Amino acid sequence: MHVFHIRYRNTQGTLMRILTAACRRGIDTPYVQAEPSAHEHQVTLLMEVNQKQVGQLSRDWYAIVDVLEVDPAIAVHEVAERTRVARAISSGAPHPPGSAVLAGDGATQPALA
Amino acid sequence: MRKGSQIVLECLRAEGVDLVFGYPGGAIMPLYDALEGSGVRHILTRHEQGAVFAAEGYARVAGKVGVAMATSGPGATNLVTGIADAKMDSVPLVCITGQVRSALIGSDAFQETDVFGLTLSMTKWSRLVKSIQEIPAVIAEGFHWARSGRPGPVVIDIPTDLLKASMEFGGAVKFTPHQRPADTPAAPEFTDTLVAMLQQASKPVALVGAGAKLSGAIPELRQLLDRLNVPTFATVHGLGAVDPTVPYYLGMVGMHGTRAANTALHETDLLMVFGARLDDRVTGDPSRFAPDAKIVHFEIDPAQLDRVRPCQLAVMGDLAETIPAFHEELRRASLPDCSRWRAVACGPGRAELDPRGLAQPTIRFLDELFSRLPEDSVIVADVGQHQMWAAQRYHSDSARGFITSGGLGAMGFALPAAVGVQLAQPETTVLCVSGDGGIQMNIQELATIRRLGLPIKTVIIDNQYLGMVRQWQQLFYQRNYAETDLSDNPDFVEIAKAYRITGQRIHEEVMREFPVAAETGDQLDRFLRSREPELLVFDCHPEANVYPMVPAGAALSEMLFEEE
Repeated sequence: MHVFHIRYRNTQGTLMRILTAACRRGIDTPYVQAEPSAHEHQVTLLMEVNQKQVGQLSRDWYAIVDVLEVDPAIAVHEVAERTRVARAISSGAPHPPGSAVLAGDGATQPALA
Repeated sequence: MRKGSQIVLECLRAEGVDLVFGYPGGAIMPLYDALEGSGVRHILTRHEQGAVFAAEGYARVAGKVGVAMATSGPGATNLVTGIADAKMDSVPLVCITGQVRSALIGSDAFQETDVFGLTLSMTKWSRLVKSIQEIPAVIAEGFHWARSGRPGPVVIDIPTDLLKASMEFGGAVKFTPHQRPADTPAAPEFTDTLVAMLQQASKPVALVGAGAKLSGAIPELRQLLDRLNVPTFATVHGLGAVDPTVPYYLGMVGMHGTRAANTALHETDLLMVFGARLDDRVTGDPSRFAPDAKIVHFEIDPAQLDRVRPCQLAVMGDLAETIPAFHEELRRASLPDCSRWRAVACGPGRAELDPRGLAQPTIRFLDELFSRLPEDSVIVADVGQHQMWAAQRYHSDSARGFITSGGLGAMGFALPAAVGVQLAQPETTVLCVSGDGGIQMNIQELATIRRLGLPIKTVIIDNQYLGMVRQWQQLFYQRNYAETDLSDNPDFVEIAKAYRITGQRIHEEVMREFPVAAETGDQLDRFLRSREPELLVFDCHPEANVYPMVPAGAALSEMLFEEE
């Protein structure tokens, strides 16, 4: 699992464009959190991607005109609880409600711990 | 007070638009109602897809933003193929669609579609306008994104009630883009790195793509290539960027590229890419693409880097700036002698074989036709075998002289695109080369050509098959010609007559004679010199194939050739 942080201007459709870059590759996004961040917005995505996809996604996201900054993927096991996502997961955050990967995937949990 | 429709048109004029292509309908009627006296000329095509392809053709040769208009629902969905095409081929395009009344959006109203959502993944930028006050800013921003950086398509969806509404209008506005932290061009030191890489290379090559043309840096590129003097080739969209007469030019690269270009690309140890995406039709099997090469990628769009293989040096920025910077550094540098490599790569041992086999008459026909074209003519090719034959035989140095749907490969592109090209360049000879499959996808645009009296020369290479698919079926599906037979084609000459366009036919037999008979040559001359729309059907052998060919998934070195 990799975590991406993307800072963007919250204009019409920008978040959808960000998500579509993953959808078009058939990549599931078991965790998505979008929120205001200073004067802009930030979305945090958690997804299972290989190294090639990390590069492709980062570049596709940056090509979206209202994306300001892409924080490239960091493997979850490398950031552990330092990331917002890890905190959210460890505190049992309910979003998304039915995410098997986040809630109970045995392969993922040890890495998060 | 101005109506929303009037504001739209005034903003278009402020962006330099004087010509739009479209098809009216319910939701966009207010905009059509305001056209007269607006200073914007509207070209009525006979299908919305014709409108968007015509706008693309216009944009591709004029170097301006093409504009297409359509109504909501089916009008907008008919634009989608052209929008996708513009995205793939980096064409500056603005599509303005009417939408159902604001109050009805989301109610599945008559002729309502979610155009914004539908086109989200294929547009560079888009907006569903929510108030009349937004219109000036939205149009200014849309045009900015359509033409800036890597150009691309923009969709502006305007509910019909906003087109009818009125407000005080102080004039068009300017858009100022926001700055992004990573929007920094290549550091000047890239030239040192690149020169060092060149000095270590023994088999350097240069690959030129559409980006070189879009940057407007063709003279600078040619000077640079002269200085480099390394084997050079072009993608299908890069054709014309390099003077084809220079000794280091090897022609088109890729699936149907030349033997010399593909071989050199496979053998190189330093690949310099100037404004090309490196898509799979250029690379063949990515894992075996230029296996020994370091890659230097000059590119304006960060999304195009490392798609196939990681590049060792990414030179981000407009080629109009990075090429001169590189050239300047080269003036001070000494480069290693790569004359032996050049002699092999560009030598007679890899020269193209003379046309042979079943395709020989068709290739000869295109050679005869192209050789008679006035300088600076524009060839607009559709998609299929004829497209590749035409690309292979295109030997002009006119940078915007070969137009085709390259990335999307959209059949039906050529005829309406030729309309846009001819309107952009009224005095230019425009030759539309299509196939019997592709022409029938937008054949209704003959009516547009007739109404406008455009002297477009349309050639149909008629092999009574969906030829490229049939070729693949022959080579890779044991000749199972499933659903590619078009032997019951209509008589295209009679169809042309029905549109009051002169039609004629040439059978491939006349091209077996070489040199061709004088009367055949005269026929081609008359065809090209006419100031009227003309259509010429060339009867091609049904099983003629395009060679060389790199099979899908093979390496560039694994080309197939026509058997003796």
